[in-house]
Amino acid sequence: MPCHHYDHPKTRREFLSQAGGGFGAVALAAMLGQEGLFSAPALSSAAAKIPNRLGKAKSVIFCFMEGGPSHLDTFDRKPLLNKLAGQKLPPSYKVPVLAMGESEAPILASKREWKQHGQSGLWISDWFKNVARHADELAVLNACQSDGINHAGGVCQMNTGSIFGGRPSLGAWVNYGLGSLNHDLPSFVVIKDSDGTVVNGVRNWGAGFMPAIYQGTEFNGEGTPVKYLDNPKSVTDIVQRQKLDFLAKLNKSYGATRKDNTELEGRIRAYELAYTMQAAAPEAVDLGGESEATKKLYGMDQPHTAVYGRNCLLARRLVERGVRFVQLYSGAGSKWDSHAKIEENHGRLTAAVDLPIAGLLSDLKQRGMLDETLVIWGGEFGRTPMSEQGDGRDHNPTGFTMWMAGGGVKGGCNYGTTDELGLYAMQDKLHVHDIHSTILHLLGVDHTKLIYQHKGRPERIDMNEGNAFEQMMAV
Amino acid sequence: MNKLLTAMPLIATFAVAADDNERKVMAFFEKDVRPLLIERCYECHGEKKQKGSLRMDHITYLLEGGESGPALVKGDPEKSLLIEAVRYHNSDLEMPPKEKLADKQIAILAQWVKLGAPWPEEKVKTVAVDEFGFKPEARKFWSFQPIRNPQPPAVNTKWAETNIDKFVAKKHAELGLQPAPQADKRELVRRLYFSLHGLPPTKAQTEDFVSSTDPKAYEKLVDELLASPRYGERWAQHWLDLVRYAESDGYNQDALRPDAWRYRDYVIRSLNEDKPYDQFVKEQLAGDEVDPDNPDVLVATSYLRNPIYEYNQRDAKGQYEVVLTDMTDNAGEVFLGLSFGCARCHDHKFDPILQKDYYRLRAFFTPVRWQDNMYLATPKQKEDWAKQNAIWEDATKEIRAQIDAMIEPRIQNAMHKAYEKFQADIRAMVDKKPHERAPEDWQASYFCERQMEYERERFDIAKTLAKKPEEKAKYDALVAELKKFDHLKPAPLPKAFVATDAMNVGPKNILKTRKGEQDIAPGFLTLLEPKEPVIKPRERTTGRRSALADWINRADNPLSNRVIANRVWHYLFGKGIVETPNDFGELGEEPTHPELLDYLTQRFLSGGRKLKSLHREILLSATYRQTAHILPPENALKIDPGNKYLWRFSPRRLDAEQSRDAMLMASGELNDKAGGPSEDGNGTRRSVYTIKKRNNQNEMLRAMDAPAGFVSTSERLSTTTPTQALLLLNGDWTIARAQQMAARVNSIEDAWHYALGRSPTAEEVKMADEFMAQRIPVTDAPAKLSTEELATAGLFKVDSPQERLVVDGEEVPALGDEFTVEAIAKLDTYDPVAAAVRTIASHWTNQKDNVEGFGWSIGVTGEKSRFKPRNLIIQLVGEDENSNIAYEAVPSDLRLELGVKYHIVVKVSCSQHHVEFRVQQIDKPNTPVLTSVATHSVRRGLDKGEAPYVIGGVAKRSPSHHWDGMIDAVRIVPGLLGDKAINARPEMWKTPSVVHWNAKEPLPLGLAWSSAAGEALPVDPKKQAMADLCHVLLNANEFFYLH
Repeated sequence: MPCHHYDHPKTRREFLSQAGGGFGAVALAAMLGQEGLFSAPALSSAAAKIPNRLGKAKSVIFCFMEGGPSHLDTFDRKPLLNKLAGQKLPPSYKVPVLAMGESEAPILASKREWKQHGQSGLWISDWFKNVARHADELAVLNACQSDGINHAGGVCQMNTGSIFGGRPSLGAWVNYGLGSLNHDLPSFVVIKDSDGTVVNGVRNWGAGFMPAIYQGTEFNGEGTPVKYLDNPKSVTDIVQRQKLDFLAKLNKSYGATRKDNTELEGRIRAYELAYTMQAAAPEAVDLGGESEATKKLYGMDQPHTAVYGRNCLLARRLVERGVRFVQLYSGAGSKWDSHAKIEENHGRLTAAVDLPIAGLLSDLKQRGMLDETLVIWGGEFGRTPMSEQGDGRDHNPTGFTMWMAGGGVKGGCNYGTTDELGLYAMQDKLHVHDIHSTILHLLGVDHTKLIYQHKGRPERIDMNEGNAFEQMMAV
Repeated sequence: MNKLLTAMPLIATFAVAADDNERKVMAFFEKDVRPLLIERCYECHGEKKQKGSLRMDHITYLLEGGESGPALVKGDPEKSLLIEAVRYHNSDLEMPPKEKLADKQIAILAQWVKLGAPWPEEKVKTVAVDEFGFKPEARKFWSFQPIRNPQPPAVNTKWAETNIDKFVAKKHAELGLQPAPQADKRELVRRLYFSLHGLPPTKAQTEDFVSSTDPKAYEKLVDELLASPRYGERWAQHWLDLVRYAESDGYNQDALRPDAWRYRDYVIRSLNEDKPYDQFVKEQLAGDEVDPDNPDVLVATSYLRNPIYEYNQRDAKGQYEVVLTDMTDNAGEVFLGLSFGCARCHDHKFDPILQKDYYRLRAFFTPVRWQDNMYLATPKQKEDWAKQNAIWEDATKEIRAQIDAMIEPRIQNAMHKAYEKFQADIRAMVDKKPHERAPEDWQASYFCERQMEYERERFDIAKTLAKKPEEKAKYDALVAELKKFDHLKPAPLPKAFVATDAMNVGPKNILKTRKGEQDIAPGFLTLLEPKEPVIKPRERTTGRRSALADWINRADNPLSNRVIANRVWHYLFGKGIVETPNDFGELGEEPTHPELLDYLTQRFLSGGRKLKSLHREILLSATYRQTAHILPPENALKIDPGNKYLWRFSPRRLDAEQSRDAMLMASGELNDKAGGPSEDGNGTRRSVYTIKKRNNQNEMLRAMDAPAGFVSTSERLSTTTPTQALLLLNGDWTIARAQQMAARVNSIEDAWHYALGRSPTAEEVKMADEFMAQRIPVTDAPAKLSTEELATAGLFKVDSPQERLVVDGEEVPALGDEFTVEAIAKLDTYDPVAAAVRTIASHWTNQKDNVEGFGWSIGVTGEKSRFKPRNLIIQLVGEDENSNIAYEAVPSDLRLELGVKYHIVVKVSCSQHHVEFRVQQIDKPNTPVLTSVATHSVRRGLDKGEAPYVIGGVAKRSPSHHWDGMIDAVRIVPGLLGDKAINARPEMWKTPSVVHWNAKEPLPLGLAWSSAAGEALPVDPKKQAMADLCHVLLNANEFFYLH
């Protein structure tokens, strides 16, 4: 893969101040502790400089189906699959390296019922019959590709661009580039649908080599939304306030003769923000004010959709309160992984997310938020046309489907194709790097300009290999 | 186009005068060809960019070509790549990539080439490059220049005491800066301890130094601290950051690397011994060649094991590639200060590193094979072990044969399944006998064989034979028999987590470019040393890594020697002379004091490459002894706001390990045990000895910017976030330290000393007094229900005086990981809205991700539970087989009816990884006994947590988790009770237990009711106020900053 050429800045500081038409300056200020702490303050000069050709999304809600949902049974219809069911992969196909090694296994038919939906006539299976109501909003990306054949590499790459740990996650890049829209909540929030641990753990929403300001914060759907948000045992609000006041006094007197050290002031503000967050975060996740109709829209009235429905509703509330990037894990702990019994597994999981995601799209639309909120659906990879253990499918990173809606994407379209069995991406391939680049573009950021200088290298979200897929942007 | 069609025949047909012809051709070029090139090609192949190394703005460049070769052949469009590309005939080479040219445009270019690609005479903006492709300025780049031997400049200032100071003073004079006054003794002693030991000085150490009148006190202190073993513990952290040391694999499973700590101890030992740096480097790169029989040297090659490893990756070749790339990149950064990674796919854009150079460096590592069958023992130890082991084997031959007969076929079966998951080429490598294997066979097959071996390791005989009691009994008997011979069995030798070469020849090292494939031999940076080194293979290894180490260690290596000298400066001042210690290339910073850097490098070389003498010289300088505590003078802010030229000491925040260790010093708990296996970060060992799991870092260390160990880290970040504040303010670990600290202080004065290393000012004492006085305990509203309503003993109700029973934890004996809980209980309601578990008994803080939270809780599920409501379950938090924290809810699938009294028994076993549940209705005679067994993955640690035992709830008040109904009796007993010991009548409970409660008996000592009004155990308000004061001090800016 060729790398892109860089302009050659002299120093890191110069780099930051050049980068991204002003973003860097904002980021630098944040790093020095002069501005906001979760990240830079609301869009100011940066917004003004965003070129017109770039998108207008302000926030992202990424519905991450962890474990790898089958594209072949959801959004990528392959009639040939059912024709060749029971046979081996035709010899014209290159044999892929598979996670579980059953590349000789017979092709598995899709048991789904497929229909065309909306004016656009997108093919969507009955597993997503509710999302299908929004077919004309969906930009379905059928030729996605990743490098990770296993969950660890795949999830890591979908989150950070690399199959290895150590790089900042997409949400961190978005925060670095755009800054925060709020002052009392984190700008990058992650919510899981269970206690399960997302593959690789918290580093999926880590800041990698960037300052920790940009990392994601995990919210719990129930109870205390953020870890350590509650006062410790036996410490009442009054005591907490007394302690903070005493701390502030000590810090003030220490800082009096050290005014040049902006980090000291940054720490003082961090404690105050932590205190305000103790009030703001519970308010953000308190669904008491939501109507029954709204809760029903998200499927909160039914046991199987209640959890993801609640998380989708929380996502909308967080975005309303200025959170930039919300990631909603479904099947935390690789639950979408269906090496066997895919019907049962995917049947249950799709039923848990279909209505809530459809509800989210409806709600965002009726509130006029959809144009500025980019909703993304997908996992770390798709699944193979070949069967595994008789009734499952193995991992397939060489061709899979994601979709985006809202946030200025041109909906009602399929983009890219896989081969007739859905094994390999063929046309308009979108590697994860391209997907990340596209997301940044939809947010109004030129991914080639959003640079973070690390150890002498100008780093980008796409590891210098991505192209934004501009075709899918509404004009 | 018309023009072209008409013009060309003209030229061809008529013998037009030469210059006339040329004029026409040039007109064609200028009007049709050049604009086309400019419009469609220059963007990527012009003055600014040269994609694929091709430039198209002059004929010379086109003829020279790019990565794919010459772009055109004059007069022959069919042989010209340019034409092939624009015609889109080759799918790998379609230009312009976004949109094909129009047919007319393609015809123009073809015609132009056919005409001989005429180009008007104009100056080529030439770039002279030498035979290797380097521009002259690349050769002049500072870090590639020989290390000079600069003499300290003559300076006219009394401030400059040492040679180092003279270099610094010269810059001051040039820039018009004034050095800051010397730090006072208190500031200095604190700085020095943190710099060299990573710990604050104790009160006595501080006072000794402050009160000393010895003019040499400082010098003596420097020597004393350098001689202390604490020095190696601190400085090893820096090295471990660089080599991305961690103790886990890093992928999904993130398995523990149980022997990795020996390398950490090696680094600490080497630094404490002041091992010459060249020896240190060579041992790590090639300890297996330097002195393979010396375990203290061999262990250093653990450096080669630091890459991440994915336990279920079936792409064996791909995984080896990942490992190889990681080894190569890290060596480049750590030892040479260059980011070679950029040159993996193309010549480095900025630095004079050829893609070929990347492959030359890589070639030193291509022979490496990870190997798991080596031991850290001397030949004598190995021999003794083998002898003794033979005796044991001999004596146990028959028993083992019988055991093997039972389990080996099953293990082989599992191993074969793992083998079959690999593709045929890898399986073929595994099938090869050792003498048939080439190096690449060894390397790739390792990954398959390790996965097979993993099946052996995790083979669980108890599970396999669970349903075959006879076989199980036979097996157990055999194992018991085998155990009798344990006295003959030698203790296992320490396993070596190391690597060596697969063979004494290396595999091919193929660099693929569009020009073809090349096998690249080991070599150094072409710019510095174009010749390929002659490397003599050893008996079992290639000798390559020794050759690399020797080159790195050459005294005239301009990179490696400067890099290490700069690192020492960087860690002492917080900023290097080169501010980017891992990047001495174009994108890094240039040295602020190039002469000083060379001076230090020369001193380092002439001093036998010992770090301690380099430290000493730097620490004794006036430069290091400047204060940080001055407000920047106007001119300094204008000229050098970043303090690059050292007009004072730069203020610094403590890093993660310093912060954590300083808290433990303040609380008086720091465990000074040196070396050995790592322990959990929530304990009290020094941070360098805490377990470093890549995916599961210690919360505190992570929040304070400790790296996770994926890539080389040369500079720590220093971030501040509200979530970090929440952790420090509300997190259990910090609060526990504050409580411990409060327990040992007698006064506000003490608290200040322990936390901040000084006495409080009068103003501060006043503030502290006021704070303490304010701290009258504040309680919530009293109970809502009267005691009369709760007459029945054994009734547990939320918002009553009888919410839960809490056991005073201090004198409770340990329960272990095998225990039984027996209870008589009746539930009135389950959680109607959520999944909360109504708790019968627990030893749990309700946390799932730290050691304090290790424990368990038995109860009944609520409405929204994924196990459905009314399910008797146990929640376990402990360590799994990989020492990862495991939280597991284990359902019995036995459902309790509301309002019915049950006799409940739960037997928990970590060794058998299961829980046995037994439930029987009590009030009705002859009801059946319901039982179930459920498995779990927790292996140990259930009694490690900090929660007290609680009956009817969990440690922290949480009404939805409280029992609602009766609990007549509960006992918690170590070990698994046999059926005979179980009894539905609590008065018959005789086995010694950890907790024993019977509602009909008086409340035993140590048990106390906890009500809605607050905790049962009274807290001394004064003590609590002091703990709060200490907690605030541990959060203070002054605690975290050296300023």
